[in-house]
Amino acid sequence: MISSHQATMAINNFVRVANIITNLDTILSQAKNLSLTAKNARVVALRAGDAAFGFKPITNFIDEFSTQTIKTTSEISKLSNQLFSLALAVVRCTDLQHQLNKANSIKQHKCIVTLQQQSLCDLKQKTRALEQAIFSLESYFEDIQKQMRSAEYIAVTSRVEASNAGEFSHSLESVSDFITNSARKIKTAVNENLQEIYELRGALR
Amino acid sequence: MKATELFNSESHQWIVLGRDPAKPEKIIDTNQYLIKSAEEAIILDPGGIELFSPMLAGILHHVQIDNITTLFASHQDPDIISSLGLWDKTVPNAKLYAPWLWEGFIRHFGMENIQYMPIKDEGGEIKLGHAILKFIPAHYLHSSGNFNVYDPSAKILMSGDIGASLEHGDVPLFVDNFAEHIQYMEYFHRRWMPSNRAKNNWVARVRELDIDMMAPQHGRIFKGEMVAEFLEWFAKLDVGIA
Ligand SMILES: [Fe+2]
Ligand SMILES: [Fe+2]
Repeated sequence: MISSHQATMAINNFVRVANIITNLDTILSQAKNLSLTAKNARVVALRAGDAAFGFKPITNFIDEFSTQTIKTTSEISKLSNQLFSLALAVVRCTDLQHQLNKANSIKQHKCIVTLQQQSLCDLKQKTRALEQAIFSLESYFEDIQKQMRSAEYIAVTSRVEASNAGEFSHSLESVSDFITNSARKIKTAVNENLQEIYELRGALR
Repeated sequence: MKATELFNSESHQWIVLGRDPAKPEKIIDTNQYLIKSAEEAIILDPGGIELFSPMLAGILHHVQIDNITTLFASHQDPDIISSLGLWDKTVPNAKLYAPWLWEGFIRHFGMENIQYMPIKDEGGEIKLGHAILKFIPAHYLHSSGNFNVYDPSAKILMSGDIGASLEHGDVPLFVDNFAEHIQYMEYFHRRWMPSNRAKNNWVARVRELDIDMMAPQHGRIFKGEMVAEFLEWFAKLDVGIA
């Protein structure tokens, strides 16, 4: 049976979903910056010619994972609508359960009992669907996390390459700084989201 | 929630539900009306979220849940229909008759299953078993899209916020002394109702109807000569004072 405490929990879940979606904006804008950086870095590397020989494949890498991150983020955005409507459905079902319990305490009636059973079924089904959606969400964030790990690796490699690029060293170093920075921001946002997901899971269990 | 029968015939029955002793204090008290025939029932102005559970419990005294086929919302206010999201799951196959004007707004209360049946500005009618219920336009009183429900065989006019009174304590069901009752209605009507023209229009329209009982959504019900007294008082009242 649903208590008002559980009703509050259902609302809290809704807030968690909202937090996750807010963090998506950070991830997306950082990923877009990364992709822009890759394009600029490629221009610099071309101008540097042989001096920045090792830098070219690096810019390709950056381009690749930023594109991948943008793609994953837009997949997540699609999921986010579904998440919101499921979280809302769970809130509504929980609310109905709560109201039916009150009705039953005023008057015990077989109709109310039937409604309670139906709405409990509905609630379980919606909760399961929400869990499923959260599961997909988690794997998307894990993908981004992996991409950021390679981003950090590339940042280190590119720094080595940048130091060998003579007069272009300075501008190429700033590229690696930028990658490090963006990757760190994205990782923080993703970690926060994974934490929210973890708590959301606990709450649904 | 108290329930009182207002009318009973072979074809159908009117029941008023309200004056719930468990109602939170700051919530305005409302009357909900249930009309039932042998196999169908309609709830007029089902009420707010806070009232859903006592209403459900109260209604099941009189009808089976599956017999609730229709809901009616006179207008969009929360005290009228904010319980919609809960009814939507309880009676998913029901229809909601409400002003066309408010459809996009009322849906904000949550409506996935119930079917919205928009009432045209001119009004309309539906059948409930053998009974006929007419939607009488009462626009701008107080809501810009607003209807009363008139039952010609029971001679009852459910008048929504028109005739509403705000009284505290253990309020009797019927108006017994009109002059005494004015104090509970006057401010409500002068402040909430925006238009003298709309008001006079409505008075003219309603004077054409044969009415034994005028049943508002708040406070006491007008019976017999109290109905004419109300119409006379309301016709003279200057509204839209703010
Ligand atoms: Fe109203
Ligand atoms: Fe009202």
